[in-house]
Amino acid sequence: MSTTATTDINHPDGDGSHGEPPLITGNLSFHEITDLVSTHTEKKTPPLWYVAFGLATSITGLLFLMIAYLFWNGTGVWGLNNPVGWGWAIVNFVFWVGIGHAGTLISAILFLFRQKWRTSINRAAEAMTLFAVMCALVFPTIHVGRVWAVYWMLPIPNQMEMWPQFKSPLLWDVFAVSSYFLVSLVFWYVGLVPDLATLRDRTKKIWRQRVLGFLSLGWTGANRHWRNYEKCYLLLAALATPLVLSVHSVVSFDFAVSIIPGWHTTIFPPYFVAGAIFSGFAMVQTLMIIARKVYNLENIITISHIERMNIVIVLTGSMVGFAYITEFFIAWYSGVQYEQYAFLNRMFGPYAWAYWTMMFCNLFFPQFFWSKKLRTNIGFTFFASIIVNIGMWFERFVITVTSLHRDYLPSSWDYYTPTIVDILTFVGTFGLFFTLFLLFLRWVPMVAIAEVKGVMPKADPHYYEDHEGDGMAGDHIPHVKPAS
Amino acid sequence: MIDLPVIDVDTAKADDKKFKFWRSQADLEQDASMLHLAHPEFMPGADEAPGGASRRQFIQLMGASMALAGLSSCRRPVENIMPFVDKPEEVIPGIPMYYATSMPYRGILQNLLVESNEGRPTKIEGNPDHPVTKGSSGIFEQASILNLYDPDRSKVVLHNQAASDWNAFLDFSRELLRGSSSRQIAVLCEPTSSPTVQALRGQLAQAFPQLKWITYAPEGNDPGLMGMQMAYGRSLRPWYHYDQADVIVSFDADFLSPIDRNFVHNARSFAAGRKLSSSNDSMSRLYAVESAYSVTGSSADNRLRLRSSEIADFVAAVAVHLEVEGVNGMGAAFVDHPYAREIAIDLRRAGSSGVVVAGDTQPPEVHAMCAAINQSLNAVGNTVTLFDTEEPAPAAQSEELRGLVSDMRNGSLDALIMIGVNPVYDLPGELDFASALPLVENSVHVGAHIDETGSLSSWHIPRSHYLEAWGDGRAFDGTLSVIQPLIAPMYESKSEIEVLQALGAGLDSSGYDLVRARWADVITGDFEAGWNKVLHDGFLPGSQFNSVLPSINFTASQSPLSIGENDIEVVFQLDNKVLDGRFSNNAWCQELPDPVTKVVWDNVAVMSPKTAEDLGVGVQYKEGKHYSDIISLTINNSTVELPVWIVPGHADKSIKVTLGYGRELPTERTLRGKHIFDLDHYTDVYNKGAVSTGVGVNVAGLRTPTTMKVAVGANVQATGRKMLVVTTQDHGYLEGRPMYRMATIEEYKAYPEFAAKAVKTLPGGEPWEEYPTLWEEDHPSAQPAFKDNPYHENQWAMVIDLNSCTGCSTCMIACQSENNIQVVGKDEVGRGRELHWIRLDRYYVSEEGNEDNPMMVSQPIPCMHCENAPCESVCPVAATVHSPDGTNQMIYNRCIGTRYCANNCPYKVRRFNFFNWSKTLPVEVQMTQNPNVTVRSRGVMEKCSFCIQRIRRANIKANIEKTTLKDGDVLTACQQACPTGAIVFGDINNAASKVVEYRKNDRRYNMLAELNTKPRTSYLGRVRNPNPELEGVTV
Repeated sequence: MSTTATTDINHPDGDGSHGEPPLITGNLSFHEITDLVSTHTEKKTPPLWYVAFGLATSITGLLFLMIAYLFWNGTGVWGLNNPVGWGWAIVNFVFWVGIGHAGTLISAILFLFRQKWRTSINRAAEAMTLFAVMCALVFPTIHVGRVWAVYWMLPIPNQMEMWPQFKSPLLWDVFAVSSYFLVSLVFWYVGLVPDLATLRDRTKKIWRQRVLGFLSLGWTGANRHWRNYEKCYLLLAALATPLVLSVHSVVSFDFAVSIIPGWHTTIFPPYFVAGAIFSGFAMVQTLMIIARKVYNLENIITISHIERMNIVIVLTGSMVGFAYITEFFIAWYSGVQYEQYAFLNRMFGPYAWAYWTMMFCNLFFPQFFWSKKLRTNIGFTFFASIIVNIGMWFERFVITVTSLHRDYLPSSWDYYTPTIVDILTFVGTFGLFFTLFLLFLRWVPMVAIAEVKGVMPKADPHYYEDHEGDGMAGDHIPHVKPAS
Repeated sequence: MIDLPVIDVDTAKADDKKFKFWRSQADLEQDASMLHLAHPEFMPGADEAPGGASRRQFIQLMGASMALAGLSSCRRPVENIMPFVDKPEEVIPGIPMYYATSMPYRGILQNLLVESNEGRPTKIEGNPDHPVTKGSSGIFEQASILNLYDPDRSKVVLHNQAASDWNAFLDFSRELLRGSSSRQIAVLCEPTSSPTVQALRGQLAQAFPQLKWITYAPEGNDPGLMGMQMAYGRSLRPWYHYDQADVIVSFDADFLSPIDRNFVHNARSFAAGRKLSSSNDSMSRLYAVESAYSVTGSSADNRLRLRSSEIADFVAAVAVHLEVEGVNGMGAAFVDHPYAREIAIDLRRAGSSGVVVAGDTQPPEVHAMCAAINQSLNAVGNTVTLFDTEEPAPAAQSEELRGLVSDMRNGSLDALIMIGVNPVYDLPGELDFASALPLVENSVHVGAHIDETGSLSSWHIPRSHYLEAWGDGRAFDGTLSVIQPLIAPMYESKSEIEVLQALGAGLDSSGYDLVRARWADVITGDFEAGWNKVLHDGFLPGSQFNSVLPSINFTASQSPLSIGENDIEVVFQLDNKVLDGRFSNNAWCQELPDPVTKVVWDNVAVMSPKTAEDLGVGVQYKEGKHYSDIISLTINNSTVELPVWIVPGHADKSIKVTLGYGRELPTERTLRGKHIFDLDHYTDVYNKGAVSTGVGVNVAGLRTPTTMKVAVGANVQATGRKMLVVTTQDHGYLEGRPMYRMATIEEYKAYPEFAAKAVKTLPGGEPWEEYPTLWEEDHPSAQPAFKDNPYHENQWAMVIDLNSCTGCSTCMIACQSENNIQVVGKDEVGRGRELHWIRLDRYYVSEEGNEDNPMMVSQPIPCMHCENAPCESVCPVAATVHSPDGTNQMIYNRCIGTRYCANNCPYKVRRFNFFNWSKTLPVEVQMTQNPNVTVRSRGVMEKCSFCIQRIRRANIKANIEKTTLKDGDVLTACQQACPTGAIVFGDINNAASKVVEYRKNDRRYNMLAELNTKPRTSYLGRVRNPNPELEGVTV
């Protein structure tokens, strides 16, 4: 039973001890993993957290101030005008929804594809998704002219028998984004249950026990619980997977369904989804590179994780770049002068700076990740993740604004400049995002403890057959030797 | 103020039995009546406002006056108010009444039909029965309704700048009348055609034998009148029949601009001569020779740009070619010019169907020369009718004004009466009227505002608006009309005839009696019946001037103007929007884009690209904003600084400036405070002082009495500074897009479908004609909501004939007035947030090699009311939907303002309320609002509705009368105002309607039809008739 060949056949997905590098380094025991993650929710709040949290809530306050100013005066406080009816608000909405893509992709799609490396990052990535979608939802809510009537977008029965207009992509958006948010929330919460129970079991404080006891839904770790849990998780993953693809496809319909040159493009759904994964992974990189350092999680979120994510980034970045070039080809090939002009105007018109920023950040810069040296370099990866997010913001800006500012009738052409309110509102959503993320880091296990344990070499029932005498077997981990 | 005692000391003491408060022993012992001797605790006035009323009284008075102000908001010309249970006869709430009246305009009357809603005049149209207007109107008639409700109008009589009253003025006039025979008085009056004013002038001249009566127009002498005098020796007024003409030549004459006194007739007859129902029709040819691009120039088939000062020579050259008698030894400079030669050949060929017209910038000699050319063509009696106004020979006002100012300075003038004029503002700077006026002991200013002149005069009488006062006058053709008021004067204002009666007779007579007294001589037969008929019809039929066929006696041998090769001329013109300043406090006019420059809320120095380059100035376009270099213009030691504006096709070395800007009007309104969280003050055009405050620069002072129209030899310097100039159209070139389609008449004859076939269907796709049409399934008659509703029987559509449209922009103001469209101000227009529902897109079109002299075309763009409306399918709340009668409607109270519809509109006709622009309207301006149209609030989209309120009103009327709608029962506001008939609107289910006929025209095209929007508004392509001999001639 102890030949390598047999083990490989039985455990083909790399348990870390047979050829492939281990997913979790440092030869940590299960208990050490639990300790490493749980301690951050249990120890006294570090002063640095307060500093960061104070900063983030201040910026959130700025967001609410800007929203109050907007509500008081009207959408005119933004830089919008007659041809450009959508500006930064919609750009920011698409940007945040895009960021909110990575989490569920990592937890659902990669789960279905048995990508075990996802376990180290999926919890934080899913949290990021939820918070990013919350930031995104701010914008369509506040960008309408009569915000007090925004609920008319919802299909609420009323005495007029007046329903929303189901042909409008904006309505599809309402459904797509809200269902994505709800499913992601449920998926995230279900994944949290075993870990919340772990925290419950560790704590000695009575209120903490009660709250965690309530939230962990009576989890005891029983076999039956695990069995139900795994089934449920699998089903939710299967449910979330199409939503990952649908939500950004629907967001892209806001543009693709219109008849404006530069918007009216059938390539938009796949191109938007690729772009969303691209930006989502970049945001995960940005956050996790900081978190693994600050919270000493280098062994759980390893270089190998970062490298894998960089590979996704270079892949999706190239897909997005390919889409940019395809759009140009199709504009030329269509023979429609308005379409051709729209794309030439992007390249050489008044917003050429935005276009070339986008091309540099999204198409050119990620190509550095072809080099293994660069994609395993933490500093460079961090820098690149910021660049990619800037580029993806500009992509949405280019699509939204350059198409609108010069469409069919040259007489109506104009220029769009954001106001300080536009800018501060966007900055404010980062405050909201980081406020929520800091709360997450403080109160919720930021790594899926149970799942990480599941991909560790020690989770393999045969592990101890191969590692007898390494000083760990039988020490404090109950080890049941399989019947031979 | 009322001086009520707030607390009676004795009563207060008697009430206060229980406790007695005292300060000292003496205080305790002394009698209450001695209390006033005690030292007050506070300084007098420290605890209450100085003056009569205490704070408490002030609040009481304010409360009472607010209540009264509320009552005064419903005004009709009756003095007693009564509840509507006994409603005034004929007034039905919600049903407007129409009254015929007339607007005095530059010395003539424009006959109007005014809509009144519950006693409030709200909308002005031309009188459809009147021989001149025939139901159409111009910018100024349309906009004059807002002048009535101008919140900055003066409200009380002022004497030495202090509030006074009419009785005090009557006392003053009676005082003046005592010993009147020796008094020197002068009257400076705007041009007027009123018989009553004539009669009162006679009365005044009788009372004051030394009366000096000067007719003063800010734009200077009337060269047309003087030219006629020169040519014929009598006061004749030419009336041009452009519809009869084959060849029309305009020499700097902008006869198609609403500025022209006969604009409505000119535009209508010009368009009539160019209507093409099929390619077999013929059309007239218009040559325009002009310095600045004008509305007329944009309609021209061949346009020559030439400095205004050179045009006299050019006219002479044409006359020489035509061998006109009396023109000798002139025009040598242009005899060889291909345009002069070709114009002459064409005119000779046209013979009596040719006509030449000279403009206001040209000296009388040019007008006389043009009269001579018309005479030699035998055009008089055919394309030209000469009306004999039977007025005395016009005096040159420049000479009279010099005399007047010297009289004012040497103190020989006892009184100066100024009626409807503003000489301090618009007289040439060298006369320095402002310093002479205070030297006159008694100066009386009768005007709508306490303007530049009013604030320096010893008396200011608020002048009634023509909708508030009785009056009379003559239309351009001499037809007599009575001006009848629709509303009692809103303030203590008086009409000019009431003031003249006070001055001439010392009597306080009502304008009604004065006009009736004068008309007793005019009306033959039964006076009351005749008078009522005149009031009802709005004019006295058959009272036109007599037309005459006089003989000409004119010789000219010397050019009236000379200009050096490199001299820069400055041409002063009335402004296309604010005229001479009369309309500068009118927010609609200020926000109307100039038909040529598209500039709003500013006046600019217009020049050609080459002149700008030579001067080293330009307009910088940066991030959607135009920053113009400011130049200083110096003529005869007067200097004015103005931003430049570049118009291709402008004559080189010529600068056009317009009058009417740089006003300094006071306002009595309290301005709202600025709150850091509140942008209302910023978005409110009425919150920066008077509307005209800070708008543009006054250029009137640059002129001299002899160079009122054109000044030669200006010194132009760049100041190095720039300023933001706002325009509604950033981009002036079509980029090769087939939005505006035109052809020459030869091309049209060879290929009548040039417009419809301008866009090729792309290979592969199915033709868009085969796409489903509106309601192919689920017709409204089958829908439960509409099944009892006959609206679907009419299907509305509009056709705009680009061959008729001149781009004059009257439709924009008509639409603004009808549909309660708010004004947003310069900054907000600069951000691209103007709200006009119909706009005129102006494009330059140049032929190769002739880029310096491009054509200018204007295209009116209302909502297209697409059958496949892209806006409708994207609205998430169904706030924009199709009506059963086939129009695309905005449901304001359903709209939540996502702006998706505006983004998805390929024609960009949708307008968004970024702020609550209607919230800050002063109460007076609120009275202009049409009660049948929703006043939009913040956050909703709006756009052209095809005047749905008019459609519904006609529907209801037809329903009550159990009839069906006939063609012409519904006119949209733009259509009704348009004198050229370029806009045709009607029911396409009615086979006999005009719109169906127009839709069958072979020039018809749908803009952006390739998007399969199936627009209900379509266009007829323009056909030009250029002279083939001038093709390729670069000028």
